[in-house]
Amino acid sequence: MKRKTQMLFSLMLALVFVFVTACGSNNNSNSNTGGTPSATDAAGEETHAPMTIRLASGDVNTSWDDMQSDIGKFLQEKTGITIKEEFPIGGSDAEMFALMVASDEYPDLVMPKGNVGKLVDAGALLDLRPLIEEHGPNLKKVYGDYLNRLKWSAEDDSIYVLPLDGVDHKYFDAGGGFQLQHQVLEELGYPEMKTVQDFENAIKTYLEKNPKTEDGQPRLGLSLNGGEWQILISVTNPAFYATGAPDDGEFYVNQDTLEAVMHYQRPEEREYFRWLNHMNDIGLLDKESFIQKYDQYKSKIASGRVLALIDQDWDYAEAENSLKAQSRFGETYANFPITLNSSIQDHSFQGTGYLASYGIGITKDAQDPVRLIKLLDYLASEEGQVLVNWGIEGKHYNVVDGVRVIPEDVQNMKTNDNNTFKKTTGIGNYFMSARYGDGVKDSTGNYYTTNFPEQIQAQYTEADKKTLAAYGVSTYKDFWPADDAFPERKYGAAWTLPFETGSQANVIFQKTQDIMKKRIPEAILTSPDNFDNVYDAFLKDLDDAGVDKLNAEFTKMVQDRVELWSE
Amino acid sequence: MAGLKKRSMSDKAFDTSVYVLMAIVGIVTLYPFLNVLAISFNNSIDTVRGGITIFPREFTLDNYIKIFEFEGLMTGFKNSVLRTVLGTGIGVLAASMMAYTLSRTDFQARRWMSVIFAATMYFSGGLIPTYMLIRKLDLISTFWVYIIPAILSVWNVFVVRSYIDGLPIALQESGKIDGANDWTIFWKIILPLCQPVLATIALFIAVGHWNAWFDTYLYNSQRPEFTTLQYELMKVLQSTQASTNYRDPNSQQNIAAVSPESIKMAITIVVTVPILVVYPFLQKYFVKGMTLGAVKS
Amino acid sequence: MKSLSTGDRAQEATRKPKSRFWGKMLQQRYLYLMSLPFVIWIFVFSYMPIWGWLMAFQNYKPKFGILNQKWVGFDQFIELFSDDRFYLVLRNTLGMSIMGLIVSFTVPVAFALLLNEIKGQFFKRSIQTISYLPHFVSWVVVAGIVTKMLSADGGAVNQLLMTLHLIDEPIQFMAKGEWFWSIVTASDMWKETGWNSIIFLAAMSGIDQEQYEAATVDGAGRFRKMWHITLPGIRTTFMVLFILSIGHLISIGFEKQFLLGNPLVIDYAEVLDLYALNYGINLSRYSYGTAIGIFNSVVSLILVFSANWIYKRVTKESVI
Repeated sequence: MKRKTQMLFSLMLALVFVFVTACGSNNNSNSNTGGTPSATDAAGEETHAPMTIRLASGDVNTSWDDMQSDIGKFLQEKTGITIKEEFPIGGSDAEMFALMVASDEYPDLVMPKGNVGKLVDAGALLDLRPLIEEHGPNLKKVYGDYLNRLKWSAEDDSIYVLPLDGVDHKYFDAGGGFQLQHQVLEELGYPEMKTVQDFENAIKTYLEKNPKTEDGQPRLGLSLNGGEWQILISVTNPAFYATGAPDDGEFYVNQDTLEAVMHYQRPEEREYFRWLNHMNDIGLLDKESFIQKYDQYKSKIASGRVLALIDQDWDYAEAENSLKAQSRFGETYANFPITLNSSIQDHSFQGTGYLASYGIGITKDAQDPVRLIKLLDYLASEEGQVLVNWGIEGKHYNVVDGVRVIPEDVQNMKTNDNNTFKKTTGIGNYFMSARYGDGVKDSTGNYYTTNFPEQIQAQYTEADKKTLAAYGVSTYKDFWPADDAFPERKYGAAWTLPFETGSQANVIFQKTQDIMKKRIPEAILTSPDNFDNVYDAFLKDLDDAGVDKLNAEFTKMVQDRVELWSE
Repeated sequence: MAGLKKRSMSDKAFDTSVYVLMAIVGIVTLYPFLNVLAISFNNSIDTVRGGITIFPREFTLDNYIKIFEFEGLMTGFKNSVLRTVLGTGIGVLAASMMAYTLSRTDFQARRWMSVIFAATMYFSGGLIPTYMLIRKLDLISTFWVYIIPAILSVWNVFVVRSYIDGLPIALQESGKIDGANDWTIFWKIILPLCQPVLATIALFIAVGHWNAWFDTYLYNSQRPEFTTLQYELMKVLQSTQASTNYRDPNSQQNIAAVSPESIKMAITIVVTVPILVVYPFLQKYFVKGMTLGAVKS
Repeated sequence: MKSLSTGDRAQEATRKPKSRFWGKMLQQRYLYLMSLPFVIWIFVFSYMPIWGWLMAFQNYKPKFGILNQKWVGFDQFIELFSDDRFYLVLRNTLGMSIMGLIVSFTVPVAFALLLNEIKGQFFKRSIQTISYLPHFVSWVVVAGIVTKMLSADGGAVNQLLMTLHLIDEPIQFMAKGEWFWSIVTASDMWKETGWNSIIFLAAMSGIDQEQYEAATVDGAGRFRKMWHITLPGIRTTFMVLFILSIGHLISIGFEKQFLLGNPLVIDYAEVLDLYALNYGINLSRYSYGTAIGIFNSVVSLILVFSANWIYKRVTKESVI
């Protein structure tokens, strides 16, 4: 090294040590939450002095706009509040909230998802009940009778989080079920599609006649997204859907006795996995189902080679969009509620009442809880909900003869470039408070949200419309039983039940998940005469891990929930 | 004469096979990089179809444009450069100082210092205690949190020390005879001789700083003015985790809108290119053939 | 320092050992100045956070301070050692790390040796630069590439083997648990050899040229030179790195195994660090996670100091 560089380096080192001592004390002030606290508020007096607050969200949102979007700017002007949102980057949300608790420093608002328990245990969240009473008329109105579902537990009737799922949400279309390419249905003359046998026959027949695509690539009958975490979506959840149970997470709850068991323990589900084993045996199942990465799965679909899927539409959306972009509509998919036999019905849409699951909370470190609850209340008001759903009148929608209409260019950007859409308009980034779900109309007779029946029709491709017409229905959801075909579940949905933090049941649950990930693929890929052995081994593994204890614990959680919500 | 000829024949055979082997290695290691490059220049919807090797199918600069539109990018770049330069200079100096003292077998404190330092490579207090320590030292939300906790890498100390051990002892002795003190010996004799290993650890430290983002996330996520390049890019690089609430329609939208593969690739390129640009300047210090003269003096 | 006669020295030694200590310290003051700041630094940043290890002996709940927790003694460790899964992941971890250790200390050295033999400067420097490019490609991307190449559905490796008539049907490499360790090791070799060889190249360039010239005169060929000059020349560096790496056998992270793995090879793919994540912090069991961390550290320290001790016995030198 030359002399000059030597001098430079030693100088730098010296500087460092000088700065350590100097900056150490100076940066004290910088470590506080940035921005000016609101101007001195006597109890609840409204000021629009600028205030910057922090919101820590457990879910990543890559399209967050930093309040630079149209909606963001509007909110800033109206309320004077600037929201700085934080996300778990590259780590897990569990880590993020664990650090928060350990350092005992909280942002103003949190959306902790499943980590609520940690925060409540640490005493970090404020009880919102008195705040709602005094300053949250809109919040009360939106939750309505369901307000009773917001309380924390039998011992503690505080309200710690305001759930963000839409109240009275209606599903207008079915995104799940089993999928078949339109071209398959067309060639076979749109046969009845109710049981796994129908499904299998359709695939088999088409595959025999058309083993290769136009570019000479071999077709695949059914490909499952089983190589990564989506194994839950594509391989195991369909087991309960196809055997007449609703989505209660990894459990099945007996509606009369409220007893819970892991759904794999149901004999019907064994038969479902046996069917998958059979599909593998006759060569209709993609052998790579449990090896492929998500990218490979999507590229297979995007190449049009896969005749059938068992998945949720948001999981293969990117691939389907690629097909649509290539104008290969015949290779996109139709959805059906396939079940094991004709006497079973798909319970996907069995009612839950209001789920009251993940939500937003105000922490004890919030600068001005009253002002925050008012912000949330505003977002829950009719004006606020229209704002976060539709945007700004004149810019993102127009009112024509009393009906809200979205102009074409806005709609185009929304459909084709959703990320940019969210970032520039802000629509989709501000669902931070109570709100109504799809299908609820406001005082002007328009829907609160931008998803409504007419919209669904507009999103169908020609191939969709053709298939639906052939079956005599207007949406895929029409294939499914009606929403009120089954009684509402008194506990909501079991997947929203939180395990007690660090409990033994939670550990056993994790073990069962590890066991399942190993045994189910094994059972599906083994030879048919070995299937029962593997499945029996699977059940035994579950027993050894303590599944009985887990089931008992979970049953208690279900029963507690029913009791809590029926008060 | 016959003997010489024979030697050069086997030499030639050896040389050729080495060249061929190295060429194969080159192709095999270059391929993933070219693949990443190709995808980064490919239209994202088209990328989903897969099947791209080393040429883009639907060329586009969109992915790069999107990246350069990120707000924090420039600040992140500036901070990353700053921390890399500063951190590397300090890191190299610190490691070499420490290495020199440990290489002196006559140093009184050598044994216990060595053990104390070595042990730290194998344990850690854990994420939470480390975080709380940084907090106590008021390093949260500062730029120095990138430098101070990273001053010394014990690994590098041992690497440099082993190199110094390999230097002829005569050099140090001659310095002592001339009346030089330990610092002068270190500065004037040892350091210049250590160019290869110093260049090497400079590379390691620099890359470490350049690629770091977790510390930004932990300590500076609320201070956009201290953001780093990798962190900015990581923010967009999100892939979904199993704990995502996949049943929530909103989350589903997020999942479906996961960063397209093309953007991920473009990010890789953006981060790597600066390193490639700087690398040749370091390379000459440790690839033999260029330093023949320097060592001997 | 003025030279003392032997007699004086002996007197000094027996009479006042303490002043001799301070005397030497004064004599070596520069060395102390150069090192003490770092000792302080390392105490602060590496040793102070150890208080967190107390968590492993408690049933830690973040609400209360570290001293107000319920103490459970070694319960967490007992639970750890009675979990079958723990032994499984331990086996996987050690299996892959030992394979990785062997490969990462042979292949990069061989690569560096061969690279050194290249005379064309441009070719040499280019190959060297290209060789480390995979280091910068993230494991997410590399795992995707590897999976695609080994795929039975048109993957390159299978295509090649079938064209060469070595196999009739494609092999599902990624579905075979027994092969998983080899696949991970091979992928790592592909990705890191270039980068890992840099340190050896640096060491080689520090070898005195005179030795080579002398050897040529003596009539030594390429291999003789490599064997007798180059390899011994990098011996110190090699041994230091090797022994220090032995300490890392047990904490190898989990990213590459996780990304390359799938449900079919799960029994071979899960490693200790992933287990710690899944059963520790993700379930809010901080104490359990800390206990695993302590286990890791203790084992690492035992490994590295044992390796060093063996090395000392054999060669009379010491790495630490």
